[in-house]
Amino acid sequence: MKAKDYWNPYLAGVVLGLVLLAAFLVAGNGLGATALPKRALAVVGNGIAPEWTASNAVLSNYVADGANPLRNWLVVEVIGVLLGGFLGALSAGRLAKKVEKGPNISVRGRLLYAAGGGVIMGFAAALARGCTSGQALSGGAVLSTGSWIFMLMVFAGGYAVAHLVRRQWV
Amino acid sequence: MSETLFPLAFASDEFRLLTGIVLGFLFGFTLERAGFGNARKLAGQFYLEDMTVFKVMFTAILVAMVGVYGLAAVGLVDISMLWINPTFTPAQVVGGFLLGVGFVMSGLCPGTSVVSLASGRIDGWVAFAAIFVGIALFTFTVDWVPGLNTLYQMGSGEVSVLHEVFGIPAIVLALIFVVGAVAAFVGAEKVEAIFQEKRQPVELTPPSRPRFKFAVGGGLAVAVLLALALSAPRPQARPVQMASLAPLSLAQAIIERDPSIMILDLRTDPASERGIPGAIPASDEEEAIAALSAAPPNTTVVVYDASGFFTVAPPSWPRTVDYRALAGGLEGWVTQVLTPLEANGTSLEERNQVLRQNQISAFFSGAAVQATSVAAPPPAMQAGGAPKKKKSGGC
Repeated sequence: MKAKDYWNPYLAGVVLGLVLLAAFLVAGNGLGATALPKRALAVVGNGIAPEWTASNAVLSNYVADGANPLRNWLVVEVIGVLLGGFLGALSAGRLAKKVEKGPNISVRGRLLYAAGGGVIMGFAAALARGCTSGQALSGGAVLSTGSWIFMLMVFAGGYAVAHLVRRQWV
Repeated sequence: MSETLFPLAFASDEFRLLTGIVLGFLFGFTLERAGFGNARKLAGQFYLEDMTVFKVMFTAILVAMVGVYGLAAVGLVDISMLWINPTFTPAQVVGGFLLGVGFVMSGLCPGTSVVSLASGRIDGWVAFAAIFVGIALFTFTVDWVPGLNTLYQMGSGEVSVLHEVFGIPAIVLALIFVVGAVAAFVGAEKVEAIFQEKRQPVELTPPSRPRFKFAVGGGLAVAVLLALALSAPRPQARPVQMASLAPLSLAQAIIERDPSIMILDLRTDPASERGIPGAIPASDEEEAIAALSAAPPNTTVVVYDASGFFTVAPPSWPRTVDYRALAGGLEGWVTQVLTPLEANGTSLEERNQVLRQNQISAFFSGAAVQATSVAAPPPAMQAGGAPKKKKSGGC
């Protein structure tokens, strides 16, 4: 079965923008992705070393009020993304267990890149207090100065090293 | 409780969390349909052969921006209730750059890695697990690697927004972005066409209806103009320091039956002492506003309390009238107007001054008995439509 076409990017953008707008109107904040791993880490930290967690520069923000760090809008929102992504792929005929890569790299090589890039992104998202969704998309929409700086730097970083890692894509 | 409709106030936390699942679902579904579950397609952005990331992301940002600030302009959204990312410039510069590096390496960003793994992609699973590791790495090292916490905390950490940096209304800045984005989209499609000839890109988004971007841009521009047209001229939500008025000048104005003057008695216990003749009692905010809204435009409203502490007009008071605070309040009135002076001046001029003042004093002391019939209703009420119409609801 041939997979369904992707949406027109501008149509997808309009739909995404309306979802983001709805998030601001309903919940008072934008969309995000790294809240789930950060808060899950806070739960783990709280279980193993509560004092360290309470004094940690990152995790202390999530345990300060004594509530369950995972009982949070952004956390359930990421669970929604998981479900939406799954049903989207399923209904479009794109659900498949495979590795996306260019023809000139091994599966192992591609997964090493994915792992290396992932670690860097996790570190960066924690440092910048948000990722492409929470900072660039959501902060950008409400005109946060720092979010726009972040967004420009994401593109700068991507284009700066794109040539060095082209082997896995082309 | 704010008067604006958005953001919504929920009766229960459970229902609010439910909206998170629903909107997250739509977010994930839309990302998948845009092609963002595919690392190769996302990476195409950085090789200029597939600009879908740029197109989708900026269209979404602009739709939400025009929506949020447009609704705020017409008074439906309370911006101060929204979470706006605080600005920590150094951390955002370094973090943004690193995230871009990780993005092109993994072909995914944190949000799209979730979509990718949900579509069954192994690279998505690996990237998501690695993001977890990266976050843990930062969390463990931030407190002891020299300088890392400084970098993390450096900067104002305050909410800074571009329209305030540039000093223009948000909705106008949004319109500028819309115009710029449509031009950038046209450019992006030209660049794509050039680079697609060189390489064979993967699963391109079908180039259907290229005019769609103009429709979106035009729609957003219309929304901005509509919001501008509907935005109510907001009363200056700022308290105003009132100029003071000498009791004798007020007395003079009352004697002359100046029609443009209205007197407001703001004492909380008006029964304790006889007030100024013709004054409208307004012992609380509601009464004051009711009286003030009845005043014709450009009326001079003289307010007084017991001893002249009330000198700042609150933001809720209408700005269509002028305010004056009676110097010394009722105390000032009693000592300067109602109390006759000893005629100990030497010059003729001084003696005339005293004489005139005592006439005024006698007028009010004598009139005090029949004050209600002489000076009330307050002169301002007679003014009717007399003052020239200057301001009627502007656009």
